[in-house]
Amino acid sequence: MRHENIALHRFILFTTCCTAFLIFVGGLVTSTESGLSVPDWPTTYGWNMFSFPYSKWVGGIFYEHGHRLTASFVGFLTVIMTVWTWLKEKRAWVRWLSAAALGAVILQGVLGGLTVIFLLPAWISTLHACLAQTFFCTVIALAVFTSPGWKRGLPVVKSQAESISLQTLCAATTGAVFTQLILGALMRHTNAGLAIPDFPLSLGHIIPPFTSNKVIIHFAHRVAAVIVTAMIVWTFSRISRSYSDHRLLFRPALVMMVLVAIQLVLGATTVWTAKAVFPTTVHVLTGALVLGTSFLLTLRAYAMVVVNMPADLRDAV
Amino acid sequence: MHKRVFFFCALLSVAVLVAACGGGGSNETAPPPPPGGGATGGNTFDMSKANATVTGKISFEGTPPPNDKIQMSSDPYCQMHAADYPTAETVKVSDGGLENVIIYVSSGLPAGTTFATPTTPVEIDQQNCHYIPHAFTMMTNQPLKVKNNDMTLHNIHAWAEKNPQFNVAQPVKGLVSDTKFANPEVPLPIRCDVHKWMGAFVGVFDHPFHTVSKQGGTFELKLPPGNYEITAWHEKFGKKTMMVEVKDNDKKEVNFSYSASDKGTAD
Repeated sequence: MRHENIALHRFILFTTCCTAFLIFVGGLVTSTESGLSVPDWPTTYGWNMFSFPYSKWVGGIFYEHGHRLTASFVGFLTVIMTVWTWLKEKRAWVRWLSAAALGAVILQGVLGGLTVIFLLPAWISTLHACLAQTFFCTVIALAVFTSPGWKRGLPVVKSQAESISLQTLCAATTGAVFTQLILGALMRHTNAGLAIPDFPLSLGHIIPPFTSNKVIIHFAHRVAAVIVTAMIVWTFSRISRSYSDHRLLFRPALVMMVLVAIQLVLGATTVWTAKAVFPTTVHVLTGALVLGTSFLLTLRAYAMVVVNMPADLRDAV
Repeated sequence: MHKRVFFFCALLSVAVLVAACGGGGSNETAPPPPPGGGATGGNTFDMSKANATVTGKISFEGTPPPNDKIQMSSDPYCQMHAADYPTAETVKVSDGGLENVIIYVSSGLPAGTTFATPTTPVEIDQQNCHYIPHAFTMMTNQPLKVKNNDMTLHNIHAWAEKNPQFNVAQPVKGLVSDTKFANPEVPLPIRCDVHKWMGAFVGVFDHPFHTVSKQGGTFELKLPPGNYEITAWHEKFGKKTMMVEVKDNDKKEVNFSYSASDKGTAD
């Protein structure tokens, strides 16, 4: 039984990695502007999507059809994950969380189809992108909750006297990152990525003239990047000052710092290269990884940091 | 336990069925029909009155900017024809004249006059992964035939703003899609999302006084007597307008001039 549960945890980890890859492939579809290169859904040029000949994966079809197949694979993994969780998992709330993941992946597939059928309306495409991040966080949560360490109980850490608790700070950071990803998705799907074509200035100013909605959306994404960076630096500073001995907190905080630094460079490169495919797509993936890391850190902070340490644990910790 | 297994097997079956439905290669390619019919009513204009001739040239001053290079390697079929089309057709200058400029009467026509819609279809062909012609004009509700003469897949995507957008698959050589546009729109871009370099522009008008500059940038319009605003539109260099007054059987010349410093406008 123990082996099976570890296997389930590893399977969910694999599903999480495949989801990150799927987000990368989805980013490729928008970066190469291939979203409408396959006009029909769920068929592909009239073929059953699983029997569409490889010789016909030409031009933009390669990216769009590849995204559909990768998404189908992740959907299949999610079905297995959910069935497996319901068969083996004792905690009802974990079972229901896996069911929610399955519901999310089905809804995500439908949204993907709708955005093709309705020719990429910005609100459906943005919703599709945001649900992808939500699903990513859900499978991360499942991977955390099914991990042997979580089940045994993570080490308890006494909260330091601060005006804002670490849990609240981490949750606020995750919220800020998610908001930033919504803005990023909105920017991509309203084609506002080059509405401000210069960086670090914005249309030659620190605050650009707001001549169009695209400029507003783009500038909001830049402002949110500053806020997110500040939140992440704050979180990392807090953890390195007060919790640096606790690697379950320190490591994700450090990874998050590195990722956000890479993300800033990628964002600037995206503008400087006029949305070259590689930096633009990696920017999408790195954004998801920042969110995932921040979310993981939040889960651990809530599980580990306590205000009043129980007496029986005080000595042990 | 058995109920749970049954529940998830049922879910899995539904998901697979939804994902996999559909048959083999389909020939279904018709775009959605536009609203409105093709006939015009009311005070229909007598085209024999359009006896004045306006000719002209769209000249290009200076050195034309180089067109973007086309990278066709993403499709082996297109790649076979890459040598014939090394660059995009955005700026095409011959004998000092700019081709593919849409020229049309933008104001001056008597209010309330309607014009008979031609029943002869306008055609655009996809040959060697290029649209032929690159720019063309037509009337509202005039039939448009979109052909695929290539041994590869194309999608025809009309990026319309004043007409319903459509995106139609043409996976097989020889397929023809028929469509119409109900509302005037200039320009109405047509693109292939499979092959990023493929683009064409159509001007849709509710009158018949429009054309596209040909070899040497030349054009000719037949107009009824009147005082008109003539507009020229190019995909890169934008719009220019001129006024012209013509009388019965007049012959007038209207010349436009573009240069590399002209910047395009949104419409």
